Amino acid sequence: MGKKEERARAEKLSVYLYIPNIVGYMRVVLNCVAFAVCFSNKTLFSLLYFFSFCCDAVDGWCARRFNQVSTFGAVLDMVTDRVSTACLLVILSQVYRPSLVFLSLLALDIASHWLQMYSTFLAGKSSHKDVKDSTSWLFRLYYGNRIFMCYCCVSCEVLYIILLLIAKNQTENLLNVVVSTLTQISPLSFLLALTLCGWSMKQTINIIQMKTAADVCVLYDIEKQQHKP
Amino acid sequence: MMASNKQRPAKLSVYLYIPNIVVSTFGAVLDMVTDRVSTACLLVILSQIYRPSLVFLSLLALDIASHWLQMYSTFLSGKTSHKDVKDSTSWLFRLYYGNRMFMGYCCVSCEILYIILFLISKNHTENLMSVVVESLTQFSPLSLLLALSIFGWSIKQIINVIQMKTAADVCVLYDIDKQHKP
Repeated sequence: MGKKEERARAEKLSVYLYIPNIVGYMRVVLNCVAFAVCFSNKTLFSLLYFFSFCCDAVDGWCARRFNQVSTFGAVLDMVTDRVSTACLLVILSQVYRPSLVFLSLLALDIASHWLQMYSTFLAGKSSHKDVKDSTSWLFRLYYGNRIFMCYCCVSCEVLYIILLLIAKNQTENLLNVVVSTLTQISPLSFLLALTLCGWSMKQTINIIQMKTAADVCVLYDIEKQQHKP
Repeated sequence: MMASNKQRPAKLSVYLYIPNIVVSTFGAVLDMVTDRVSTACLLVILSQIYRPSLVFLSLLALDIASHWLQMYSTFLSGKTSHKDVKDSTSWLFRLYYGNRMFMGYCCVSCEILYIILFLISKNHTENLMSVVVESLTQFSPLSLLLALSIFGWSIKQIINVIQMKTAADVCVLYDIDKQHKP
């Protein structure tokens, strides 16, 4: 009995110590340090945050390379993404007025990803990124083209980091800052415009996703009812 | 084409159940998402008012992470609700999930504590520790309510932390079990 328990514990520990999961823990630590310094050292925060974001791609690669794909790793990844984006949106809501903008973006991020994950489970797909059927062309483009998907996701993170870095005062008017930066006609303006484009498409996708996911939940119940004798 | 025409009125009728009294998956998800988002937004407001903001930032992180892991592990273990946890070694865990009134007290305490903190702040930025200590030492009905809710809140946060560990274990065991089956 003792030996069986020992073996079970060792097996569990080995999954926790998978290389991609260790990368995942590193991401968590990086984010903790980043947010601890975000008010005192914005540049350091941006570097740590962005580095953690890059590690997101690394741990996926590690998992496939070392054959250490794990459910725990996927969940750790997802949770770290959601929490780090949420915290960054909280910081931005403190810096920019009206705060309602970033409050809404936070709400949309949480709601759309939550519904998405729920509906993925109900529909039995392996990953929410494997969406094959949809009527919206934007949806099909986003999920059909990994580079486009990547561009949209990266745009969001880069946009938020840029907004944090260009804020000079404790409270800024969002529209003023964005418009003045765009009209400067500098490399920064170009980067800002590019990320705004990708960001807006990601948010549009988020909204469509909520409707699609809600439909999956509803259809799940309807189909359950229809299969009852 | 015909099938989709029949499906549309059926879908609409589920969406329009007010207030979704009939037990439906969509209703449960809507419920959960509304809870999470409203708590998150309240914590954001509090992080703007109180210093250090890191406190409420951490509470937000804990809330999202623990509930996310919880939901995932509920799906993996095939339970219908994360509130139906039957097995655990921690006495606190068993008390929380075994006694609905205790669970209700802890959850309500969190929301009430956050609302109280929001209401008692007078300035635009407050020092959290000062405000809490001041309100507690007043020895008024408010102090009692504050103390009661802080107690329930702290238990809920401890549960959240334990839940993350438990849920992570479920994820790991799910993979191990899959491997053992040929």
